Amino acid sequence: MLFSSVEFLFRFLPVFMLLYLAVPGKYRNLVLLSGSLLFYGAGEPYYVLLLVLSILVNYGAGRLIIDKKETYGKITLILSICYNFGVLFVFKYWDFAAQNLNRLLGGISSGEMIPFLSLALPLGISFYTFQIVSYLIDCYNGRIGEKVSFTAFASYVTMFPQLIAGPIVKYEEVAERMKERKIHPKAVESGLKLFSIGLGYKVLLANQIGTLWNSIMTAGAGNLSVAVAWLGAFAYSFQIYFDFWGYSLMAKGLGRMLGFRIPKNFDDPYMSRSVSEFWRRWHITLGRWFKEYLYIPLGGNRKGYVRTAFNLLVVWTLTGLWHGADFNFALWGLLFFVLLSIEKKGFGKWLEQKKVIGHIYVIVLIPVTWVIFAISDMHQLGMYLQNMIGIHASNALAGSEQVFRYIKQYGVLFILCVLFATPYPMKQYQKYKYKWYTVVIIVAIFWFSVYEIMSGSNNPFLYFRF
Amino acid sequence: MSIDKKRLKKNLQNCPYLTAISIIWLFLTIGGVILLWYRDYGGLEWRSLWSSPVFAVIMEKEMHGSVTGLPPTEPAMVKIPDTDRDNGVQEENKIPAVMETLEKDSEHAEQMRSFLAQKEQEEKEMAKIVEEEAEEPVGQTVFVDYDPVETDSIYYEDAGKLALTTDYAYTKVKEEYFTDAVFLGDSRTMGIADYAGLDADFYCENGMTVYKLLDEKGVTYQKTGEKADLNQVMQQKHYGKIYLMLGMNELGYGNTEYFLEHYQAVLEQIRQWQPQAIIFLMANLHVNREKNNLNTEFNNININAKNAAIATLANGTDTFYLDSNPLFTDEEGLLKDDLTFDGVHLYANNYAQWRDFLMEHGVVRKNNRSDENVETHRPAEYQAEINQIK
Repeated sequence: MLFSSVEFLFRFLPVFMLLYLAVPGKYRNLVLLSGSLLFYGAGEPYYVLLLVLSILVNYGAGRLIIDKKETYGKITLILSICYNFGVLFVFKYWDFAAQNLNRLLGGISSGEMIPFLSLALPLGISFYTFQIVSYLIDCYNGRIGEKVSFTAFASYVTMFPQLIAGPIVKYEEVAERMKERKIHPKAVESGLKLFSIGLGYKVLLANQIGTLWNSIMTAGAGNLSVAVAWLGAFAYSFQIYFDFWGYSLMAKGLGRMLGFRIPKNFDDPYMSRSVSEFWRRWHITLGRWFKEYLYIPLGGNRKGYVRTAFNLLVVWTLTGLWHGADFNFALWGLLFFVLLSIEKKGFGKWLEQKKVIGHIYVIVLIPVTWVIFAISDMHQLGMYLQNMIGIHASNALAGSEQVFRYIKQYGVLFILCVLFATPYPMKQYQKYKYKWYTVVIIVAIFWFSVYEIMSGSNNPFLYFRF
Repeated sequence: MSIDKKRLKKNLQNCPYLTAISIIWLFLTIGGVILLWYRDYGGLEWRSLWSSPVFAVIMEKEMHGSVTGLPPTEPAMVKIPDTDRDNGVQEENKIPAVMETLEKDSEHAEQMRSFLAQKEQEEKEMAKIVEEEAEEPVGQTVFVDYDPVETDSIYYEDAGKLALTTDYAYTKVKEEYFTDAVFLGDSRTMGIADYAGLDADFYCENGMTVYKLLDEKGVTYQKTGEKADLNQVMQQKHYGKIYLMLGMNELGYGNTEYFLEHYQAVLEQIRQWQPQAIIFLMANLHVNREKNNLNTEFNNININAKNAAIATLANGTDTFYLDSNPLFTDEEGLLKDDLTFDGVHLYANNYAQWRDFLMEHGVVRKNNRSDENVETHRPAEYQAEINQIK
């Protein structure tokens, strides 16, 4: 079930909220848990069992780690992490690995040495796997000291606001509220407002600008003039940003409606002046996860430049692959590794001081990285990147005529996207959020979003394939 | 438990947004229930309201896959036999081979053999007719039957037959041929306008349908980017050729009969305005495997049903049916993956091939034939790849 779907907006959410508010406090976790499983099961009727299995296994593991820390703590931690990543590997990476191993082994023997599984990716598995692993490690590190009840743990993992596309919440962030939470009408109100704004970002900005990217890709990655290629790169950059940020905002809003505080996932990333800064502001909870549970355990930057570079290489290759099992994602991660390594040598600091140069650097580079992210077919990707710098195999079929039309058609939308990529609208919102006209505006946003959802059919979350 | 009225009032004042959304929700829900009641017990023309998005929110039980967010379940394998993909030389040799394979399949063998015999006969007759009536040849649109698949949709059923490009002695034409041509259609025609490099008039738009084509709101004229009302355009300017390609955006609106009725009405209207024009009814291009979804109405069976319906309107004298699918589809009739990004539209560079196809399928009237050098040929393309039909 998508947040931006009729089922969710008009059936699941109202019924769930009424029930959630009506039951006494001590049953809220139970309502949340069953509601979340229903939410997940509606879209993944079979994989919900996998999720339940994961919860059972990992709850047991967590208990064992805390109770028998001295004796079985470490081995339990290792085994349970293997279980989680093992499941993730089988469902997400198996076919990719098999394909490449078969290709490598192809010289030795014919046929498929390793069979393909062709499993569909369970919704949100990358997100909940990371969340569970963070919980296990926190149990081991003693950050989760007291006993966690089963319902609390299961609710933490499955909580529908963040189950399928993050943010990746740490248990300590919800621990207090899991035990007891009061729900104020005002919190529900402001949560619902945030949710509606997020919905607007998703439906009115991301989906709309996404059609430009689509029509440019429809013309074909090898047929674009430099201007069209860059227009496409910018369009996609906005699409993925508003898509994902919109989703995170909806999650945050829903979390607030339920009485939780879900951490911030985006902090105006396109306003950054270096790629390092960009990654401190883009998908913050993922960056935090890699930093706390991988980069620092590997030694971080405390073991010299070479070791730091190696650690960065590991982190960024995995960050790339986390987003998808394909070479372009690995390439995308590696590009960030290169950029960040260079920036670590002082270039980043310099950029962040030079305001204008830093902004230009980010505005030019980030769309290139998104193009790599967007196109999985290496041949197509190569052509697109060549088009961006003016190398064409033949005449660019999509040229000035298309640029003219696209600007006419999407010009206003582009201006809106630029505006909403700055901190200005959110600041205004914070300032005037209790004014009546703000309420009217958000009602209008909600209404238009619903209208768009009803009339348009092209509205998948980009982040759902991860 | 009694409700504390004061508290409720205070809360309502504190939460104007929540209140507003709740009211909207209640309004939609109650409205939906009332409409359902009317629908079930009569008394109101609910159909018109049904299409309004506001009420559809509540009422429509099953939305399209993409809206519900369910991933399109298992890419359905639909086999649309695509008969005339390999046109040209090998055609002659194919039939014996086909016959051989058919021998094995005894169920179909008889049927196919008689079909082939009939076909041969028809062809001979056709050739005769063409020879005899050298004055103005008459083309014939051939349909190939196959066993239809069971479908469960209000929008379509499997036509069980495949329309081939109207068989006719087409003329290979030059680009000047298109200067008095007009193309009417949807986003696929936009692709031709953008990338085929033809100097013709294009009135087309994303999402265009036969239901909207002759609307007063108009259709975008690609040379200016402005909307133009075809009711006026068609009465003012006279075209030698009219290319019509519609049907994709109609897949999920009304059934095939309903579609055909409207398509025919549009065609007749255009014919009335342009009695002298050659009208080409272009087949809708199939979609690729990913987009070919049997669980929705968006699939090649439905497209084929629409195409077969359209083809019945071709008369072979001034109205012709052109199927360019063979250029771009594989042996299962699916649009080839390396030709498309979204599974529906061709990459820009593939339109050149489409243009060549159109140039090979020119119709030049004998009495108008100024250039005696034009090469008349008969694309041997409607021989079926019968082993597909199973």
